[in-house]
Amino acid sequence: MKLNGQDFIIIGENVHTTRVVRRKGNLVTDNPAGLESVRYLGTNKKRRYLVIPESIKKSQEYEEGRVKHVIIAVQAAMAGHEPYASEGLEYIRRIVQRQVDANTDFLDVNVDEISWRLEEQKEAMRWLVQAIQQMSDTPLSIDSSNSEIITAGLEVYDNSVGRALLNSASLERLEALDLAKQYNTKVMVTAASESGMPQNPEERLANASRMVDAANDKGIATEDIFIDPLFFPIGVDTENGNHAFEAIRMLREKYGSDIHISGGFSNVSFQMPSRRLINDVFMVLAIESGADSGIIDPVTNKPQSALAIDRASQVYQLTEDMLLGKDRFCRTFLRAYRKGELEG
Amino acid sequence: MAEITDIQNEIIVDEIEEFIERPDERERAINTFAQTTPEMQDIAAALIDGDNDGVDEMTKAALDAGTEALEIMDDGLIAGMGVVGIKFRENFIFVPEVLACARAMKAGMAYIEPILSASGIDPIGTVIMGTVKGDLHDIGKNLCIMMLRGAGFVVHDLGVDTSDDEFIEAVEEHEAPILGMSALLTTTMPNMGKTIEAFIDEDLREDVKIMVGGAPVTQEFADDMGADGYGKDALECVALAKKFLEEEEDEDWAAD
Repeated sequence: MKLNGQDFIIIGENVHTTRVVRRKGNLVTDNPAGLESVRYLGTNKKRRYLVIPESIKKSQEYEEGRVKHVIIAVQAAMAGHEPYASEGLEYIRRIVQRQVDANTDFLDVNVDEISWRLEEQKEAMRWLVQAIQQMSDTPLSIDSSNSEIITAGLEVYDNSVGRALLNSASLERLEALDLAKQYNTKVMVTAASESGMPQNPEERLANASRMVDAANDKGIATEDIFIDPLFFPIGVDTENGNHAFEAIRMLREKYGSDIHISGGFSNVSFQMPSRRLINDVFMVLAIESGADSGIIDPVTNKPQSALAIDRASQVYQLTEDMLLGKDRFCRTFLRAYRKGELEG
Repeated sequence: MAEITDIQNEIIVDEIEEFIERPDERERAINTFAQTTPEMQDIAAALIDGDNDGVDEMTKAALDAGTEALEIMDDGLIAGMGVVGIKFRENFIFVPEVLACARAMKAGMAYIEPILSASGIDPIGTVIMGTVKGDLHDIGKNLCIMMLRGAGFVVHDLGVDTSDDEFIEAVEEHEAPILGMSALLTTTMPNMGKTIEAFIDEDLREDVKIMVGGAPVTQEFADDMGADGYGKDALECVALAKKFLEEEEDEDWAAD
């Protein structure tokens, strides 16, 4: 999409088997037949219901108050029993459509949590890539922590709508670069090292640079490379925001405008309340530091709305201070949250 | 039975009134604090507030005044942490605030630990922690380690991408009764099962309690893998480690 005249490449993260809705939230309700369901609007704007199956109700996630709605939809659609299969497919279509309407450039597809059995993960990836490509012409981002699952997706991907993005390759998973070459994809490279997560901006720069070099050596053009500097939760260490912004600045300085700098923006708000606000302010600061792409929920974390926030407001200032490491243990922010001062 | 009015510290009373809703937990908290001294309640209140300096000063002052190290640990630090755990579980407070409390606990334990070990009282237990083979994620595991250390455990951190052999060697070398494994990825979770099998193959499975955790891990999965326990967050990890130690003591009694 265009953002203030500049390209900003949205990688929409909503077709992701980790996604949950809260059981106590408005979206989980009984359908007309009295079965607990996730409600949604179908493509014709009519209210529809994705029934929560018994198998999910036995899960620990459910007991703790979270419903893995994307898993429900994919499993129902794949199993093929009506009317649940059509409902599951309609649900996926709706998630896809909402992201497409929000100017998503790549639809990220991740099925890792559907099972911990590799064959089932590969089968789900093959199925979902084909299903989504029948719904939309938006290119896909094939996302997994396992190269075999990525391969399963790339094997069935139809390139005619545009090249896929491979998400991701890293020093511990260099073979993914060969896949990117073989299947002619763009590629996300992360700043993880062979042996661990980067601890500071310098390590991020060093690891990412080695990945860019390795990709270039294999004949992958720099403009086809997206860097994920790896963003960590602000709640765990108040320096995590500064590490992110500094890494983005260093990478942009080194590579100029050729390369894409992206990453999972919502990681930063993990385990915190008011996640949307934190995500929006993080996006403002990340873009300002030089990011030109993000793996985001484009429906709830719209870049144009983030950039329109009143930066003089107290709410913005509190959040920015926290993300810039000026609020120890996020105390001021959390106090404001409890007082209800972050709303609106 | 104790009444809430038996507790002198107003902050502690407010905390119990406001945040502890389950009747059994309320009763236990009241009974715990009602039999502690005002000085210990002050330490607990400072810990609940995440007041690092306060806990540091008051712990030192209490020791100087002749209070037993064990009493400060149990009645001040651990009692305070109990309230923190409940507030976190019920979403009244969040991870950064729990970390501030853990840091305050650590400040107090810095005085307590050397005294306990000099008087021949061992640390409450030793835990080996590591992220499984193929997985480089360590944020959750590190939170667990901070909380375990805060609770008085000695923790040996094997870092990320830990092989079966590294887990086995560490458990043997430190004679650790507890092993904790973490995984953030569904693609690396099954390695927990492989490591547990390696312990069985080495005939060491009986010697160690194994707990597992990480975002995609569930109780069901932990049971499938043959783990002894599953913790959904850092505080459950500490509770589990304590439970294992109690079970071990019970078994020792039974063996006598």
